[in-house]
Amino acid sequence: MTDSPSCGLSRRRFLTSSGAIGTLALAGCVQNTSRGDGSGSDGSGSDGDSDGLSGQVIIKGSSTVFPISDAMAEEFMEEHGNVNVTVDSTGSGGGFENWFCPGDSDINGASRPISDAEIEQCSGNDVEPVEFEIAGDALTVAVNNDADWVDCITFDELRQIWSDEAGVTNWSDVRDEWPDLEIERYGPASTSGTFDYFNENVVGEDTEHTTEYQPTEEDETIVKGIRDNEGGMGYFGFAYYNSNSEAVKAVEVKAEDGGECTPPSLANAKDGSYPLARPLFIYAAESALQREEVYEFIEFYLEQAETDMVQDIGYVPSSAEQRDENLEKLDEVAG
Amino acid sequence: MATREPETGWHGENSDVNHLRGRAFEATCLAATAFGLVSVMLLLLFVANDAFRPFSADAGWLATYAATVVVPLAALAVYYYRLDEPAGEVAYVTSGLPVVGLLLTGGFAVLFIELLSVLEWFALLISLVVAGGLIVAHGRLRPKAALERLGVVFLSPVITVFGLPPTRFNWFVTDAAAALGLDFGLYYRVISLREAIMLLPFVPTDWAMLLLTLVLPVAGAAGWFVKQRRESRRDGLAVVGMTTAVAVLGVVAGPLLGIGTDVWLLIVTFAVLPLGVYVEGVIRRGEGVCGLAFPVVAVLGVVVGGVVTGALGFAGPDPWLDWGFLTSATSRTAADAGIYPAMVGSVMMIIVIVLTTFPVGVGAAIYLEEYAPSQGLMGKFVTLIEINIGNLAGVPSVVYGLLGLALFIRVLQWPQGSIIVAGLAVGLLILPIVIISAQEAIRSVPDSFRQASYGMGATRWQTIRQVVLPEALPGILTGTILALGRAIGETAPLLMIGAAASVRLAPNSFFDVASMMPRQIFSWSSELDPSFRHGVLAAGVITLLAVLLVMNATAIVIRNRYQRTG
Repeated sequence: MTDSPSCGLSRRRFLTSSGAIGTLALAGCVQNTSRGDGSGSDGSGSDGDSDGLSGQVIIKGSSTVFPISDAMAEEFMEEHGNVNVTVDSTGSGGGFENWFCPGDSDINGASRPISDAEIEQCSGNDVEPVEFEIAGDALTVAVNNDADWVDCITFDELRQIWSDEAGVTNWSDVRDEWPDLEIERYGPASTSGTFDYFNENVVGEDTEHTTEYQPTEEDETIVKGIRDNEGGMGYFGFAYYNSNSEAVKAVEVKAEDGGECTPPSLANAKDGSYPLARPLFIYAAESALQREEVYEFIEFYLEQAETDMVQDIGYVPSSAEQRDENLEKLDEVAG
Repeated sequence: MATREPETGWHGENSDVNHLRGRAFEATCLAATAFGLVSVMLLLLFVANDAFRPFSADAGWLATYAATVVVPLAALAVYYYRLDEPAGEVAYVTSGLPVVGLLLTGGFAVLFIELLSVLEWFALLISLVVAGGLIVAHGRLRPKAALERLGVVFLSPVITVFGLPPTRFNWFVTDAAAALGLDFGLYYRVISLREAIMLLPFVPTDWAMLLLTLVLPVAGAAGWFVKQRRESRRDGLAVVGMTTAVAVLGVVAGPLLGIGTDVWLLIVTFAVLPLGVYVEGVIRRGEGVCGLAFPVVAVLGVVVGGVVTGALGFAGPDPWLDWGFLTSATSRTAADAGIYPAMVGSVMMIIVIVLTTFPVGVGAAIYLEEYAPSQGLMGKFVTLIEINIGNLAGVPSVVYGLLGLALFIRVLQWPQGSIIVAGLAVGLLILPIVIISAQEAIRSVPDSFRQASYGMGATRWQTIRQVVLPEALPGILTGTILALGRAIGETAPLLMIGAAASVRLAPNSFFDVASMMPRQIFSWSSELDPSFRHGVLAAGVITLLAVLLVMNATAIVIRNRYQRTG
């Protein structure tokens, strides 16, 4: 073959030169970034509407707050195309412990207030969390569509089902007229704020939350589990029920034996008649608020949290007073 | 002459050998094969149906396109398969080349939009060429000074590309001094050729720079190829000249067509030029010319189908996987959601993986196969290492994610969820696979080759460089590309290192936080809105599969090509 010598040569060349070019290209790109950080003369990819605001905002935390934060990020980035707002759902506790308090994220969504241990962990890393209450949620207890025996349930019965000491395995163990069917429990994992809220307010301090359930960080999995098991039961944020209201059946809840059964709804959560209504929070690191893009984003977030956008997603928007209070707090911290 | 009785039967005819077990075993094996294939096929069809929703179109639309595109192409395919096989290959290549060319065009367009400006590309390429030129020139002028050349090889890119000393080195020294409490720092450096070009007050326009650094080199390579094949210098020059002419023409025509000059140049370079050279070759050889009908019929069919459906008012399908899906970011409304930032993230992650894993993996494989002691205590130690590399290939991907989290994010303090961290974590994951496949490729080079090379007085280094590696390279490349196919689909490590669920800006650098395709698909799977889980998710899966198939096809083409010539 006439071209075999040149063939061998080209392979060898290929090997050496691809190696050399490869190393150089990687190093070149790395330096590119550092230059962007150092002097701000980043000549590439600035095709958004450049209003001067750029940078990135990292949000972690509760899967319950995730839909709100994600929607806020999308709306915010329509106005500020160069700010990269990334949202992730890690669970409230998981977000605090693994990302927010070590200083790896700017904002943490939480479906419960921050705990003392978490504040301690944060301050150990010089992260000062600033709390904003941005919405309300009606924590929803759901059962299978075929579970026609249960329409309303008391706190005490919920406690029996979800605590670890009552020894309840079947529906008939809770109320005699209920069928002799095993309760298949689905719930959020212990890193979730929803878990913490439920554990504190329903299961109570005297007993522990049961471990005999399917824990998951994906509310979708809970809905699927309940849908496919006649004896299934679980709890999650109202928004997930809102968009899956045909797949599962929500149970009315009453706090006391003599109380009134209240269905979960945004209206009932707003007027306080639903006993499992709870506030949702975002926590921003004080140091991150000094960065312009984070400040702008939080300001946008707090303003929009009062609008119908939040309601459309399936949460109770914050009131006008709440919004003003939040904005005041923001100015105080950042100013 | 007595006619011999034809022998009937065989010697075991009358004994009672039972064929039942053998037949049953064969049937079981067939069933196992069929079960696997059929179930995967069904799953893919199911996903593809969700992604493209062909049945959301009017029946008339489907019938029109079936008549104008599917039936003629199927008829042609049958004809090629039964009667004219060379034409079949021509049809295959002429349909495939534009697709690959357009993919490359898209890749470069993304590169220029997201990573580098054209000027940066121009400066980088010029500097690299100058560095290469310096090395070659030194080799020519002082062929004996091997040690000196090593210095030149390292220094010339430093001078032309990074500057002296590199900025990072200055920062490192200054930071280190500050950490020690010294008031000392390096604040000045000689800028590199690359930076000097960037600082020029007058630079050529974008299209001129692209023409110089992309169109002309590729056209030159094609021209050289044609020259070699024809042994005619004139033909080679003609290729270069025509390509340049068409490219320059596009400077006027591109904006008129509404695609922009840069895109035109890229299309000319990657799609029109290879196709033109190939088609010209086919016509000249006169073999399988019929195959050229295939793409022509396909294009004509689509055009005719478009005209007919437009005239009759048939509505087309409303697929989830459409142009908008490929070019927009994720959204909370399913209809607007797209995969673009995740796709860019995945591609950049693959770049990191290739640049880090390939040299390390192949280097390790060469050492283990060619240099490592095989006898004595050290030999046992090497065997132990090889066994452990095999074990590492089986370690769950979550563990590599944890390793990445601990090492790159917690210890080195690199930004969490960034491309470099993702690439290195997934790179570690496929490193054992790359090493093992490269070892296999090197081992398959017959020992007689090495002996012959030694017999001619070659040193071990010369033997490896000139005999073993060229012979093993196709195998190494195939193995590496298949491993990359695994890497691009890995999800667990990405979750561990904190790749975010929703990222709406494509990354601009390797230290940016990014999403990757599998991560994005995973986060769609837990969206509130069911149309995410059924439609958008399926579209994402199909996109990922398409990228994977292109990579695997590349691996197969490389293997076949080198097996033929090598």
